[in-house]
Amino acid sequence: MERKYTILAILLIVLALGLVILPRTNEQKETNPKVLLSAIAEKSRYLTVDQVTHRIIENDPTLLLIDLRTADQFKTFALPGSLNITTDSLLSQANLELFSQPGKDKVLYANADLTSEKAWLLCTRFSLNRIYIMKGGMNEWYNTIVKEKSVTGTPSSADLDLLSFRKAARQFFIGSGETVNASVNPTINEKIQVIRKEPKAASGGGC
Amino acid sequence: MKKIKFDGSFYLNPYLGGVILGTVLLLSFYISGRGLGASGAVKSTVAATVNIIAPEHVAKSAYLSQFAGGDHQPMNNWLIFEVLGVLAGAFLSGIIFNRLKLKVEHSPKITSRRRLIFALLGGLIFGFGSQLARGCTSGAALSGMAVLSFGGYITMIAIFGTAFVAAWIFRKNWI
Amino acid sequence: MLRRGYSVKTGFKHFKIKIMIGSIISSGIISPAWDNLFAVILGMGFGFALESSGFSSSRKIIGTFFGYDFVVVKVFFTAAIFASIGLLYFSYLGLVDFSTLYIQPTFLASAIVGGIIMGVGFAMGGFCPGTSLCAAAVGRIDGLVFFGGMFIGVFMFSEAFPLFESMFYSGSQGAKMINTVLGISPEMFTFLLVLAAVGMFMGASWLEKKVKKVNY
Repeated sequence: MERKYTILAILLIVLALGLVILPRTNEQKETNPKVLLSAIAEKSRYLTVDQVTHRIIENDPTLLLIDLRTADQFKTFALPGSLNITTDSLLSQANLELFSQPGKDKVLYANADLTSEKAWLLCTRFSLNRIYIMKGGMNEWYNTIVKEKSVTGTPSSADLDLLSFRKAARQFFIGSGETVNASVNPTINEKIQVIRKEPKAASGGGC
Repeated sequence: MKKIKFDGSFYLNPYLGGVILGTVLLLSFYISGRGLGASGAVKSTVAATVNIIAPEHVAKSAYLSQFAGGDHQPMNNWLIFEVLGVLAGAFLSGIIFNRLKLKVEHSPKITSRRRLIFALLGGLIFGFGSQLARGCTSGAALSGMAVLSFGGYITMIAIFGTAFVAAWIFRKNWI
Repeated sequence: MLRRGYSVKTGFKHFKIKIMIGSIISSGIISPAWDNLFAVILGMGFGFALESSGFSSSRKIIGTFFGYDFVVVKVFFTAAIFASIGLLYFSYLGLVDFSTLYIQPTFLASAIVGGIIMGVGFAMGGFCPGTSLCAAAVGRIDGLVFFGGMFIGVFMFSEAFPLFESMFYSGSQGAKMINTVLGISPEMFTFLLVLAAVGMFMGASWLEKKVKKVNY
């Protein structure tokens, strides 16, 4: 092989080797404390159990459920499609990469809110985004979907829709045999945007 | 320094050509966030043309309605402009290296007619496959490989693997 | 360079010291109206690079499959690894945010079957869409005919779509990257790819000398 090609080939290999060797210094950027404080004050990280249930039933591909409870509790019952990550392994490299996955909303839940809040804070501190908390955790989910939670006072039509949605959801998860004569689409008036699309790659693309 | 003959036989060193192409590809991602392509322009043109001739047909077509009809603007498309650039760039290269020549390039063992028939059929089949794979060698394979896309590599392997076998089957046309 | 904008990582507004942007158009440094202009310029570079390397000649292209001219392998893989290395370095330097780039989505069944069909078309016609354009631009009628044939093929696909619809949408794995499939980092994959490519180039050069010369 000619000498100039040998030199070029070596150059190329060195260049590629450089990529492998260079330290990954820019991976975990910590958020500025002021920014963190404003993020905590903002309430947009919460999703209601109804919203989460809706997306589970719809098989929303952008939904990634993270169960923060212990492995035993996870095995007993967990929301369909959820991954079990206990809080002590939250910051492992593999899990951090999971959390940085684009195109997915990472919804945290535990038994109540305390663990989820801690986990959310940790993640946000590491500049991870699209992390949400299912408000009330499994306790709230169980009370709302599995047991019937009655609405106080005179129920509005939105409330009635919500109740029949929950009935349908119950059937979906448990199969209670009750008849449902309403559709499974609740009208949710919350202002939290449920992100369904892929994050916009600014360009279109495709050949 | 070797003298360059401008009689139409000069070709760039392929590695240099690869570096230039790689640079263009890199810039394409850096500037526009996407890679190069070609078959998408054909798709847009087909969709737009059918839309002009028979808009109801587009509305009924599960495939074409994704690209034309309604408020889609298939021709106002990055790829269409890129393809115009490709024509211009290739033409420029043809002028510089004196390769402009109206002819049907074919192996001396077959006739022009046979070459053209196979070109037409080849294009037809290729067009069909490019839609199924959502791209061609430039868009799916080359650009896909640049961003390490799994789908891109799969398509590239499928194309070249099959082409090796198929070229042998059609070898009478070539060697 | 102080830049106020949405940090891609946190999604919150704050001042950033480093130049961390997506692609230039997506981060708004240049307005999107220029995108199409850049498309033309990039296309010109594409067309020039292809034609000057010899891709306007179908017999030169098909040489890869018969061993007498490996220009396709050399140009294609050099371009792919050069762009991959470049993008990874850009990403490392914070010039580009990989998550904003368009990554060809993986639909397993249609990618394979479509690729096979394209391989057949490639071997029959001796072109791919980009190279057929280059050939047409310098007056090769076979290139023009190939490109024309594509229109028919695309239309046939749209008509036959209901038959292929389930295959078209099956096996979706999103924008999966090949290094994830192999379980290694993108940098390591690119490094191994470079080694493989250099090996291929050496093999190609050796083979070219051995194979009977073809005049084209």
